[in-house]
Amino acid sequence: MRKRVRNLTESLGAVLLLYGLLAVAPAAQQASPGQLQSGQRVFAAQCGFCHGRDAMGGETGPDLTKSALVRDAAAGEKLRAVVRDGRVDKGMPAFRLTDADLTAVVAFIRDQKIKTESPGARRSVDVADLQTGDAEAGRRYFNGAGRCAACHSPSGDFAGLATRLQGLQLLQRLLYPSNGRGAKVVVDLPSGGTVRGALAYHDEFTIALTDDDGRYHSWSTGQVKFKVDNPLEAHAEQLGKYTDDDMHNVLAYLQTLR
Amino acid sequence: MTTCTTFWRTCRRCVSGACLLAPFVFAALVVAQSGGDAWTTYHGDYTGQRHSGLAQIAPDNVHQITLTWAFATGQTAAIKATPILSNGIVYVTSPDHVWAIDARSGHQVWHYGYPANEGFHIGHRGVAVYKDSVFFTTPDAHLVALNANDGKVKWNVVVADAKKGYWSTNAPLLVRNHLLVGVAGDFDNLPGILTSVDPDTGQTQWVFYSTPPPGTPGSPSDGATGGQMWMTGTYDPQLNLVFVGTGNPTPVLNGPARQGDNRWTDSIVAINPDTGKLAWGFQATRHDTHDWDAAEVPVLVDAAFNGASTKMVMQASRNGYFYVLDRATGHSLLTKPFATANWATGIDQDGRPIPNPAKEPARDGRLVAPDESGGTNYRSPSFDPKTGLLIVSSHDAYGIYFFKPDHGAYGWAGADYGVFGKSALRAIDYRTGDIKWSHDLGEGASGAGVMTTESGLTFTGDTAGNVLALRTSDGATLWHAGIGRVGNSPITYQLDGRQYVLVAGGASLYAWALPEAR
Repeated sequence: MRKRVRNLTESLGAVLLLYGLLAVAPAAQQASPGQLQSGQRVFAAQCGFCHGRDAMGGETGPDLTKSALVRDAAAGEKLRAVVRDGRVDKGMPAFRLTDADLTAVVAFIRDQKIKTESPGARRSVDVADLQTGDAEAGRRYFNGAGRCAACHSPSGDFAGLATRLQGLQLLQRLLYPSNGRGAKVVVDLPSGGTVRGALAYHDEFTIALTDDDGRYHSWSTGQVKFKVDNPLEAHAEQLGKYTDDDMHNVLAYLQTLR
Repeated sequence: MTTCTTFWRTCRRCVSGACLLAPFVFAALVVAQSGGDAWTTYHGDYTGQRHSGLAQIAPDNVHQITLTWAFATGQTAAIKATPILSNGIVYVTSPDHVWAIDARSGHQVWHYGYPANEGFHIGHRGVAVYKDSVFFTTPDAHLVALNANDGKVKWNVVVADAKKGYWSTNAPLLVRNHLLVGVAGDFDNLPGILTSVDPDTGQTQWVFYSTPPPGTPGSPSDGATGGQMWMTGTYDPQLNLVFVGTGNPTPVLNGPARQGDNRWTDSIVAINPDTGKLAWGFQATRHDTHDWDAAEVPVLVDAAFNGASTKMVMQASRNGYFYVLDRATGHSLLTKPFATANWATGIDQDGRPIPNPAKEPARDGRLVAPDESGGTNYRSPSFDPKTGLLIVSSHDAYGIYFFKPDHGAYGWAGADYGVFGKSALRAIDYRTGDIKWSHDLGEGASGAGVMTTESGLTFTGDTAGNVLALRTSDGATLWHAGIGRVGNSPITYQLDGRQYVLVAGGASLYAWALPEAR
């Protein structure tokens, strides 16, 4: 069973410790220990169902400590709106929490985020942990067996990459950049026309795209011919081919692209 | 006794000689109202096959089925429970909630709300029904007996200590006068427990420990705790054995803290329901360091294996391997992967995959398949006796796993991150472990279980929010409806001569049937 939670006592201790030591995001700075404890309680009961009791991901919901919205300290109101209104398209329902509970939950999520990034915190992966690769072997893999050079270039899209991404974040992105370039689709209509655009939705029964004008179109998959070009397919395929050394070597090489 | 007659007829058609019909006998004991063909336990019967003898909805007419009713719980939590149909009433749950619904109309008969509590609200699998009682487990690890007629509380007992970190999502398994209740609790280093409760009084009859209780001399589990039995087991009345899957060891990712096999975590255990004593155990994953609970359904099948009539238990396990065992002895008959798995160097003489030490979580990370959510999970598979196929919602996925001494030896004790995965419904031939067909379900993991029917249909859900009806023989799609993410395992029943199929999409329950004759 999915379980990513810390012992309540340890957690509270860490909260108090972090308060004294760390420069924290504004929302967390203003939160009292009591409020964080309250946020933890409400989160565990209401949100832990999907996101794990410690907000680090659960059976169906993502790790919130890695969420861009959580990372953006100025987006507190947006975060509140997501909790209040839900994200129905992604399966998240709206939550009817009191303002006080909502504030406490947001403070708790932010605090969890800080804890995962602080040196020595449990479950952390530090940049120093990931320095076992051979950059030269990684360069050869990048240009050879890894086929990375078919899409990426150290002087093009990857120029200065290591100044933008480090450590675990860089490792995750090299394996599967889920927020990278999106898929394109070309749909041939029965009438003879062709529509192109960014893939907006695809299941067994429906194909949809957003065209250059930002308009959404959808069709039944049985009634049109279509071709999807998804650059992420090569990443998914490579997962079955990497050795752990390959993975660490490519990371070491990418870290040289400053 | 229409119910029993129908099921005996079904039984004779099954490959399974002993169809393990005891739940339906209990159904006859529940209030006197005539219900029709029912689904009275979590798995529908003791075998865990989730195969229905009903055949009114068939491959040639399934495209005509229509929505007869929908029931919105109004809750934020999705339905992960298997509905129970008993005496014309559907019982369905989400954490803290039980609804009794008229199976003909979708009308709510009663609702029970458990008081607000700080237990873990991760999901709920459903109720058990016995005589005029409905049994419900709670996020703070209580067992509540409700009056089946009005939802009023009869009694409420503590099964495990929530303050220590236990909770329950479990649909209890009823075997005669034993109600077997499982709990979860592997955020903390706690022994795995399964409790037998007297369904009339709530008194504890026995407790089975999958890992040693505190104070046990020596260390038969090599220092591991965990092995929680949070899923509903299966039962063979002839052997008088209950089969239950046990969860992962704790600390979860820290292997060095518990060198050894860590029995009986990640195992199928066979237990005598009268005494709570272990008859045998089989470890699906020894020394697990990836959170691969073997809690998945141990499916009971009586059929030929290598030409000999055999009483088998089979499991598509979270570690990506499919197992067939002789259920009288626990000896391995077959072990073969059904989903992407890169963590084993081979299979040992006892049929257990041999863990590759290089794939244990490490400071610099290891790329491992399956990921933490597994090659499958709590979503139930279904066995189709006609074709000999175990049909399972599988997940090909990679994760990166980390452990360093700084992570400690309590609870999670490590870090892991899912990388990418996609799902497929796979039909495994139990005789060979070969995949007869595979039907893509989309990116990510589906929450939907599987149900097969005697007419040759397979019901499940994809990752995009469609409920699907496939042809069991080849996996071809025959019908679908977009109802939102299917988070439970479908069931079917027959009332007034009409077959219904029940599936949950999001927090609502949908009932489908063929149009009524005009």
